[in-house]
Amino acid sequence: MIDQALLSQIAIGLYKGSFYWLLAAGLTLIFGVTRIVNFAHAAFFVLGGYLMYSFYVLTGSFLLSLITSLAATGLLGALTEITLIRRIYGVPSIYQLLLTFGVTLILNDSQKLVWGKFPKYIDVPGYLKGSIQIGAISYSYYSLLLVMLGFLIFLLLHLSINKTMWGLKVRAVWRDPSVAQTLGINPKKLYTMIFLIGTALAGLGGSLIVVLHPVGPGLGDHLIIYAFIVVVMAGLGNIVGAFVVSLLVGVLSSIFAWLIPEVDILLIYLIAALSLLVRTGGLFGER
Amino acid sequence: MKILREANIMVLLLTFFSLALVPLTYERFYIYLMSLFMIYSIFSLSYNLLFGYAELLSFGHALFFASGAYTTALFTLNIFSDPLIGLIVSAFSSIPIALVVGLLTLRHTRIYFSILTLAFGMLAYALLVKWRDVTGGSDGLVGIPKGGVLIDITSPHLYYYFIFAFYCLVTISLYMLTKSKWGLLIRALGDNEDRLPFSGHSPMFVRLFTFTISGFVASISGSLYAILMGVVTPDIAYWTFSAEPLVMTLLGGSGYYLGPILGAFIFVILTTALARFAEYWQLILGIAVIAVILGFRGGIGGVIESFYKGRTRFRRDVYGNPESGRFN
Repeated sequence: MIDQALLSQIAIGLYKGSFYWLLAAGLTLIFGVTRIVNFAHAAFFVLGGYLMYSFYVLTGSFLLSLITSLAATGLLGALTEITLIRRIYGVPSIYQLLLTFGVTLILNDSQKLVWGKFPKYIDVPGYLKGSIQIGAISYSYYSLLLVMLGFLIFLLLHLSINKTMWGLKVRAVWRDPSVAQTLGINPKKLYTMIFLIGTALAGLGGSLIVVLHPVGPGLGDHLIIYAFIVVVMAGLGNIVGAFVVSLLVGVLSSIFAWLIPEVDILLIYLIAALSLLVRTGGLFGER
Repeated sequence: MKILREANIMVLLLTFFSLALVPLTYERFYIYLMSLFMIYSIFSLSYNLLFGYAELLSFGHALFFASGAYTTALFTLNIFSDPLIGLIVSAFSSIPIALVVGLLTLRHTRIYFSILTLAFGMLAYALLVKWRDVTGGSDGLVGIPKGGVLIDITSPHLYYYFIFAFYCLVTISLYMLTKSKWGLLIRALGDNEDRLPFSGHSPMFVRLFTFTISGFVASISGSLYAILMGVVTPDIAYWTFSAEPLVMTLLGGSGYYLGPILGAFIFVILTTALARFAEYWQLILGIAVIAVILGFRGGIGGVIESFYKGRTRFRRDVYGNPESGRFN
């Protein structure tokens, strides 16, 4: 009996972990290539959720709203890169962090201005309702979709960076932007591209989460910490690490939350503090 | 630069003088606003010791603010009802906390130090929310007395001057610290950590010293906050509260001793006074932060200095190091 309960906690953990992964993927990609710690990442994530809500209310089509909201968030991210972040690539990282913090403040208040103070959510579309029975564990189609989508994005990201020509350019810029430039690669264009992809991933995550979890003011402040913890624990800029750590944190926190319910919110910070005390550079980082 | 150094003391004395006059207006709102300003000044001065001088970017400084506020609240409510004794007890009880947190986090540098301090700060927040029997959970603790056994500072004038006394004490002692041998060591830690051992001092020891002093001072500001408000809630331990002194310091200019005070003034005006008229003050703050980063990286202090020097464009990095060119 205990095994069944444990298994279902692992299943919930995997779903929670996929959610962390969708949040952390863009952040770690952006950091890995541009070395910018994008504080506004969670604000873009929340924006994706809000946009999804509005498009869904407007059109009634789940897939169409998903694509529109993903694209809109990505474009806004690229626009932010072109207008603001491009000016601060050379400066000490604390300023980069603060600039994106300023962007966060602006995004938060604009969202409050447009969507009000009350959280928004949408219902699971009809064809995704219902659940699947694996052994004694019941898994809703929607969370199963989320887990699979998370894995698919991981594969796509990993393969496109390690196996394609475009990925080779990304890795070249990551190693040394000025040498890459001498080889005819335009780092500026690539950075904008990376921001587009990174924030679009955040928009995707936000759009998917608004179905299960109400999106409202203050959610971004909460999520950015989770994202940072996952990314730093994994080793900054490490995509494989971020995927594994996201799932690990998701599974561990749901198992412990089930065993000792009182420690619920303490847990992620405890995991982060312990793992960083043991291994400074993150679990998958270079030491 | 020499003129500015002398100007530091002049301006500090000027703020003392004008702050001493504020209660004469008999406007409760101004008295409250300036009390808050002095508390934030102490908080961000303590933060700048870490950030501006020692180049340690902490995201968990609210931990010490909250520890000061909660210890004062718990002590005055449960053990001995007196604000002054409560403040002294909580200030000294922050020392062991700072030592333990410091020993664990200071072995790490850069972003790892930042994330670790963040984790410890949020652990404290979670503890304050969860340990309901002692801390009152998310409702916090209410009824922290202004009138105690030894002193009574119930009236606005009295609590104002109570805070003012600590404001003077902290600003003067921190100023003396930055001018002393220890101040030089803290600066050396920020400038070049690898060369610090050549002077025969252990970087870890200097780091721990800075961290503890900073935590000690931050906890004084937390105590004053608890006494002023009469209420403490876990919000003051949340990470966004740790980001506030950072914003204040940067607005004012972290390379200057007076920077955090100037920044705190602007911050309090922006958040409190503006919040009365505009609901969306975060938007304005965000624009201000971006403007500072893109235009005036030395903060307001930098603008003033460049004005003195007759320069139109100001280039100076966060730590007041004129050789910021190497970063660009």
